[in-house]
Amino acid sequence: MTLGTTAADMLLSALRSSTPMAFAICSEIMAERAGIVNIGIEGQMLVGAAAGFAFTVISGNPWVGLLAGAVAGAALSSLHGILCLVCRANQTVAGIAVMAIGVGCSSYFGTPYVGRRISGFSPMSFPSLPAGLAGYLGSISPTMILGVVTPLVMCGFLYMTRWGLRWRAVGESPAAARVLGINPTLYKWAAILVCGLLVGIGGAALSVDYAKGWSDGMTSGRGLVALGLVALTRWNPLLTTPVAMIFGAAESLSLSIQSHGIGVSPYLLSLFPYLTPLVVLALHARFAKRRSQMPASLANMQTFGE
Amino acid sequence: MRLQSTLRRAWPVAGGLACFVAVTALLFGHSTPSMAGFFWVLIKGAFGDGYAISETLVKATPTLWCALAVAVPAQLGLISIGAEGQMYAGAIAGGAIAVFVPHLPAWAMIPTILVGGVAGGASWGAAAGWLKARFGMTEVVVTMLQNFIAIDILEYLIHGPWMAANSGNWPQSTEFPAAAVLPPIISGFRTHVGLFGAIGAAAILWFVARRTRWGLAVRVLTGNPRVAAQAGLSRSAYIVGIMALGGALAGLGGICEASAIQNRLESGFLQGYGLSGFLVSALAGHDFLLIVPLSVVMGAILTSADTLQLTAGLPASSSMILQGVLFASVVGWTSFVKSRR
Repeated sequence: MTLGTTAADMLLSALRSSTPMAFAICSEIMAERAGIVNIGIEGQMLVGAAAGFAFTVISGNPWVGLLAGAVAGAALSSLHGILCLVCRANQTVAGIAVMAIGVGCSSYFGTPYVGRRISGFSPMSFPSLPAGLAGYLGSISPTMILGVVTPLVMCGFLYMTRWGLRWRAVGESPAAARVLGINPTLYKWAAILVCGLLVGIGGAALSVDYAKGWSDGMTSGRGLVALGLVALTRWNPLLTTPVAMIFGAAESLSLSIQSHGIGVSPYLLSLFPYLTPLVVLALHARFAKRRSQMPASLANMQTFGE
Repeated sequence: MRLQSTLRRAWPVAGGLACFVAVTALLFGHSTPSMAGFFWVLIKGAFGDGYAISETLVKATPTLWCALAVAVPAQLGLISIGAEGQMYAGAIAGGAIAVFVPHLPAWAMIPTILVGGVAGGASWGAAAGWLKARFGMTEVVVTMLQNFIAIDILEYLIHGPWMAANSGNWPQSTEFPAAAVLPPIISGFRTHVGLFGAIGAAAILWFVARRTRWGLAVRVLTGNPRVAAQAGLSRSAYIVGIMALGGALAGLGGICEASAIQNRLESGFLQGYGLSGFLVSALAGHDFLLIVPLSVVMGAILTSADTLQLTAGLPASSSMILQGVLFASVVGWTSFVKSRR
C-alpha cells in the first residue's frame, strides 16, 4: 500500500466519521445565528437516529429513514421552541429538558430495534472509471455528500439571500431587527425547525448509514461536542466540514489503532474524540486573534440569571 | 425573610407539578388499568414501605450532592453540567485510597477517602474554572467534555489496571475494606450517612451564601462587576474557587455512593445523577434549601421508575422521560407565569 492510498483511506474514513457531526455543527450554527442556543441537539440527534433506523427497517428504504429522522428531530426541536419562545424559558435550561426527553424517548421507542441490521444505502458503482478510483468513489455514501453540501447551501443562504441577512440580524439584535420591520419570533421559529431537521438527518445518517444499527445513546455525546465545536467555525457554516473533521479524524484514528491491535486500552483510545476537541478549543480560545464572531444576542444568554 | 422567598419560589413549582401529572397520565396512563392506578404505583413505589422510602433516600443522596455542585457555580452565573464527571473524579480519587491502601487504621480510613473524593472532584472542577477564567472558554462545553473524559478514565481503570483479580473479568475494582464503607443510618436499610452529609452541606452553603463575606462577594461579582472590580475582587479567582467547590461537593457524592452502596468502583455506577442533579438545582432556582426536598422528589421518581419496570413493564428509559417531562413542564409553567405577569 502506498502512502497516497493510505492517506486517501484515512481521509475518507475521517470524512465518514465526521458526517453526523457536520450535520450537528451546521444545525447548531443555523440556530445560534438566529439567537437560539439549542443544547438539546444531543437529544434531537438521538431521536433522529432512532426514528431514522426504525423507518428504514419498516420501509426498507434508507431515504425514508433520513426523512423520518429529520421530522423527528424537528418535532423534538419544536418542543424547545415552545419552551423558549412561547413560555419564554431560559434556553439552556429548556435545552437540557429537551435533551432528557430525547434521550429517554429514543431509548423507549428504539428498544424493539436493538440488534436489527440493515444494509443501508446501496454503494454507487462507476463501471467506466479505473478500478482504484471507482473503489474510492463507491465508498462515498449519499449522506457524506449531503454532509458536505448542506453547510455550503446554508452558507449561501445566510450570506447571499435577504432572508439570510435578516436571519443573522435577528441573531445579532432582535430589537434592532424588529425596528427594521422583521419579525424575530418568525425567524427564531424557522431557526428552531431548520436546526431540528438538520440534526435529525445527522442522527439518521449515524444509524442508517454509518453504524447501520441502533443502540441506546449511540450518538455518544456527538451533539454535545458539536455545541463546543461551533465556536471553532466562528458561526460560519463554510467551516463546518473542516471543523467536523477534527472529531472525525480523532474518532477514525482511535478506531483504526484499535483494529490494528496495538496494545492500548480501547477505553483510553475512546478518550481521544473528546480530549481532542477540548485541546483544540483551548488553543483556539488562547490564540485566536480576531473577535469570536459570536452572534451578539447570545452573549447575554450565557448565564443562569435572566 | 429568606424562608419566604424560598416559599415564593415553591408555588410555581407546584403548578408545574400539575402539568407533569397531566402529561405523564397521557403518556404512561395506558400501562396500568387506570390512570389513578399509575400514580398510585408511582407513589407506592417510592414511599410505600420502609424499604421503598429507604431506596428513595438512597437515590436522593447523590442527586442532592450533584444539585449542590450545580447550584454553587450558579451563584456566580456559571452553568456547570459537569457534576457527573466530577462525581466520577471524586470516586476514582477516593476509591484509589480504599483499593490501594486498604490497611489504613479504621478511624483514618473514611476521612481519608472523603478527602480523596474532595480532591478528585475539586481538581476536576477547578480545571474547568481555570479554562474559563484564563482562556474564556465556555464552562458548559468544558464541563460537558470533562464528563466523557472522566467516564472513559474510570472505564479504563476498571477494565485494566484496577480490575479485581477475582472478578472473573467483570469490570469492577477490588471491594473496599470494611473500614472504608460508610455506615447505614438504620442497619438493614441502604440509606447511609452520606445523606446527612449532603443535607448538612446544603445548610452550611445556605448560611455561607447569606451571612459571610464570601457570599456577599459572590453576589457583588454577579450583580455589579464594576463595583466588584473597585473592591478588588478577582473574578478569575472566584470562578476557579467556586468551580472547585462545586466539584468538591460532587466528588464527595461520588465517593459516598461508591463506598456505601457499591463498596467498589463499577462501570457507570453514577449514570444519570448528573442530569438529575442539574434538573433539581434548576427547578429549585439554585436555592440551597429548596434543593433538599426536590432531591427527595427526584429520588422518588428514580425509585418508582424501578418499580414501574417490575409492575407495569415499562423500560428503564421511562425514568429519563419522566424526569424530562417533569423538568419541561415545571420550567415551561414557571416561565410562562412569569412572562405573563
